Amino acid sequence: MEKMLREMRERVMKNIEAAGATGALEQIRVAALGKKGELTALLRGMGKLPPEERPKMGQMVNEVRAALEQQLEAREKLLAEKEKAARLAEETIDVTLPGPERSAGSLHPMNIALRKMVDVFVGMGYEVVEGPEVEFDHYNFELLNIPKNHPARDAQDTFYIDDNIVLRTHTSPVQARIMTTRKPPIRVICPGRVYRADEADATHSPVFHQMEGLVIDENITMGDLKGTLDEFARQMFGEGIQTRFRPSFFPFTEPSAEVDLTCANCKGAGCRMCKGTGWIEVLGAGMVNPHVLEMCGIDPQKYSGFAFGMGVERMTLLKYNIPNLRYLYENDLRFLTQYR
Amino acid sequence: MKVPMKWLKEYVDINMPAEEYASRMVMTGTAVEGVEKTGEQFDKVVVGRVLTCVDHPNSDHLHICTVDVGGEEPLQIVCGAPNVHAEMNVAVALDGAHLPGGVKIKKGKMRGEVSMGMLCSGPELDVPAGLYPHIGDAGIIEITEDVKPGTDVKSVFGLGDDIVDFEILANRPDCLSVWGLARESSAVLEEHFVMPEIAVEEMGSGTFDDYAKVEVRDEELCPRYCARIITDVKIGPSPMWMREYLYGAGIRPINNIVDITNFVMLETGHPMHAFDLSKVKDQTIVVRRANPGEMLTTLDGKTHQLDETMLVIADKQNATGLAGIMGGEESEIVDDTASVLFECAAFERANNRVTARKLGIRTESSGRFEKGVCPATAMEALERACMLVNMLECGKVVPGCYDNYPNPKEPVEIEASVSRICRRIGVDVPGEVMEDILNRLYIDTTVAGDTLHCEVPAFRQDMEGEADVSEEVLRMYGYDHIPSTLMNATTMAGRQDEKTVFNNRVKDALVGMGLYEILNYSFISPRWLDHLGLADNDPRRNVVKLRNPLGEDTSVMRTTLVPSMLNTVAANLNRNIPGGMLFELSKVFVPAEKAGELPAEKTALCIAAYGEGVDFYTVKNIVTWLLAKFGVQASIAAGGDSYYHPGRKAIMAVGDTRLASLGEIHPDVAEAFDIKGRVVVAEVDLDALRPMEKDFYGIKPLPKFPAVSRDIAVVVDEAVGAGTMMDAIRAAAGKLLEDAKLFDIYRGEKLGAQRKSVAFAITLRAPDRTLTDEEINAAMEKVLKALSEKFGAELRT
Repeated sequence: MEKMLREMRERVMKNIEAAGATGALEQIRVAALGKKGELTALLRGMGKLPPEERPKMGQMVNEVRAALEQQLEAREKLLAEKEKAARLAEETIDVTLPGPERSAGSLHPMNIALRKMVDVFVGMGYEVVEGPEVEFDHYNFELLNIPKNHPARDAQDTFYIDDNIVLRTHTSPVQARIMTTRKPPIRVICPGRVYRADEADATHSPVFHQMEGLVIDENITMGDLKGTLDEFARQMFGEGIQTRFRPSFFPFTEPSAEVDLTCANCKGAGCRMCKGTGWIEVLGAGMVNPHVLEMCGIDPQKYSGFAFGMGVERMTLLKYNIPNLRYLYENDLRFLTQYR
Repeated sequence: MKVPMKWLKEYVDINMPAEEYASRMVMTGTAVEGVEKTGEQFDKVVVGRVLTCVDHPNSDHLHICTVDVGGEEPLQIVCGAPNVHAEMNVAVALDGAHLPGGVKIKKGKMRGEVSMGMLCSGPELDVPAGLYPHIGDAGIIEITEDVKPGTDVKSVFGLGDDIVDFEILANRPDCLSVWGLARESSAVLEEHFVMPEIAVEEMGSGTFDDYAKVEVRDEELCPRYCARIITDVKIGPSPMWMREYLYGAGIRPINNIVDITNFVMLETGHPMHAFDLSKVKDQTIVVRRANPGEMLTTLDGKTHQLDETMLVIADKQNATGLAGIMGGEESEIVDDTASVLFECAAFERANNRVTARKLGIRTESSGRFEKGVCPATAMEALERACMLVNMLECGKVVPGCYDNYPNPKEPVEIEASVSRICRRIGVDVPGEVMEDILNRLYIDTTVAGDTLHCEVPAFRQDMEGEADVSEEVLRMYGYDHIPSTLMNATTMAGRQDEKTVFNNRVKDALVGMGLYEILNYSFISPRWLDHLGLADNDPRRNVVKLRNPLGEDTSVMRTTLVPSMLNTVAANLNRNIPGGMLFELSKVFVPAEKAGELPAEKTALCIAAYGEGVDFYTVKNIVTWLLAKFGVQASIAAGGDSYYHPGRKAIMAVGDTRLASLGEIHPDVAEAFDIKGRVVVAEVDLDALRPMEKDFYGIKPLPKFPAVSRDIAVVVDEAVGAGTMMDAIRAAAGKLLEDAKLFDIYRGEKLGAQRKSVAFAITLRAPDRTLTDEEINAAMEKVLKALSEKFGAELRT
């Protein structure tokens, strides 16, 4: 019996060594150590042995079991590692293969620029206010010191709905609405669509957007206007971008200024974009005309303020180097998909 | 306004290049469009004297000339002009000269004879005939002046001057004149402005009244009317200097009398008119409003029908001209005009503007009147014209004049505070400096302590108060002195309005789903509503119309975003872009019920998707996800507008509130918009969605007890909507329902025609206990019962 045991151990050990897969190993384990396996059968045969030999034999059987189990375990670990490595190798994919196509999506560039503009001013304590696009002549012109048949109306070719209702030609009527309904201090920006009867070309569009700013408080100076616009220029276009004020005329501000920014393309050195001047005209601004304050029911002796208005499309073209205003209203996906 | 530098320099010293002068003017508030030189169309053309001229031996029309062009040796030049002869002065294009039309002159041989240049004709130099008398001659130009050979011909023809193109702001009509600009320049450059002394030599016989009568019947529309008579008129060309100035300013020289009126208009800013007195009926000029329906033919040969708001110049019976806009044909100055009436008047600007607009006429004169011509200086301008008649010796000025100026404007006086001005502009300018600046601008100013006392000259009609004074001070002191300061003001919390914040979240959600935002015009063509096939009584047919649209395509405010969206899709398909997902979030306009009120402006959202792989469900998913972002779950039912595919359209709603409609565009509509292929569109009512979003209070506690999932499959008719069945399941299962999902739809012969099996996974859970089999079975029973009652569903076994 001892001989049988030894022989079995030798044979099973060899089989374990020869097993090439974890599945085969399991079969060996069941055949050798299972409930119906060889070792169990041997154990059962122990009853035929004389009683004094039984403990010794039992110990031997246990030793063989332990040895086989150990060997099985070791072999299994080895084989499992090999099999995993093989599986991983088999699972290798072409990582350079493109994934399923997915549209990235984007806001319209005009709105990307507008959000940035709004953020800058909200950060400076401005409240965003909107007004109607179809507006009374009264707010669009008269309260802004532009009476009927005033030549200043020429600069803004107006779409009329009837004698008293127009498509607003600027966002300034929102100023007038705010001034007639609120008490100072006032600090608002008014972004929105405006309309001018201009045929579309590289620099004109019958529909475009403006953002108006208005501050009314005590002791507001033209220096504060410059400081505010300098800060805006820096945040919008980067360090080193400054403003330059040139005298101008708007009926609702006095003094008035055309404001230029350092050309962001050449940083003021002069290039094609700025026609060699180093400056780009971007907005109009000024101190609110006391006559306008008075018409809106605000005491010009106590309060002063400034207002500015800028073209959002103009900012967009400058910010994103877009050569032609038409691009913004053609909705060509080849253009839109360039934005993120 | 274009002004030759030479003309300005007659009245003010400008000792710097034109470009530098222009930038000084720009930085003090007089905008400049650009600076250009006259005569840039050619170069290297000089005066030459033809010394000899003989026939070319090998030609029947060419001549061989020797020409002195001021060099050491005369040049040999071959010339084909019939009028060339020895002893004449000509314009010689030298070797290397550039002529208009890209012509370059090179020395060479003509029929074997060396030719070192070209003798030029007027058209070859593109110099207008009116500028130099012999320009229009046949053949080469003969220069009659005694000019040294070698002199640049530009100086002979009055070319080569710098022309500054000023862009005069609406508040400074006084600068629409050489005198005004010279005065402004003198203030900017701190130079003296010297006006010519106005002195007219009256040589004619009699007085004004012996020759003509003027009647101003509407003094409101004609606040001043001045007139003078010139007799013994000799019409002829005006002198070179005057033609040069006019040409430089962009006005064609015509004859001395007409040129004088144009010259005075440019120099003083006062439009003038010259009448041939012999053709003024009864020698009477009446200034009156037109009679309703009165007809008038203006100088340009056009006939206009007038109304009673318009001011005309008339004889005793008929209108002969539109006051301040355009004269009539009858009394035009012609070559044999012998006596002239000069008119220099002021007409009311708003009325002038309205008339010019109504009749669609715009002239130099009307452009000035509508900006505002100062009545106070009208007589001065008229006298200037008479001085020029003296100077040009083209007529005799009759003693006396007509001047009707019943209500001279009182001079404006302004008291201003130095300290308030400094506060306003943010710059400390001493009172004495302000005083000096204002005096330089001819605003008579004295300073006493903090008070400035300013007397505004008549021509500065824009100056009304302290704010105007502050601007004058600041622009002369220099805008570059404005410091960059931060407001010392009330602290305020910046914020965006709720609606914008909401709209931005909608846009961000859509962008996150891969959609691209587009922008379209707010106005559309009414035809596009026809393309949609909207019924005549559809509310979207009720549009806000533009009274003066650019064209039919942009003539009404849109009531729906769909047509512009479909045009965008069509345009992109045209560009061969095979697919895309787009949205536009914009306003639509609903006319007010009452006339005279503003239309309602509503926020609309339109989504579209087209291309491979896009179907109804692509867009349905987008809308469902969008609503889910705002915590809204809508029910969906088939139906919607007729511009959608009858079998592929739906309405999404919460209760009775419609949130969205969506569908594939009907092929007929797609065709009308020139779209080949399928487009799926959704319209979302954001004004309805916004209030549905509930504030987010916090989370539901995570479940402590297990959920139970049961699958059921039922057989129903094909027409029954799976989504509708889901709604029924949700309603029937009650509180225990956690989730219901559709996981399979099966059609097969065994089920019979027009039948389908629909399978759902139903998850049940109670927050406070493990569900018992009885509870689960009861809930499932309820679900089955509801499906059976509502849809005739049979449990599939």
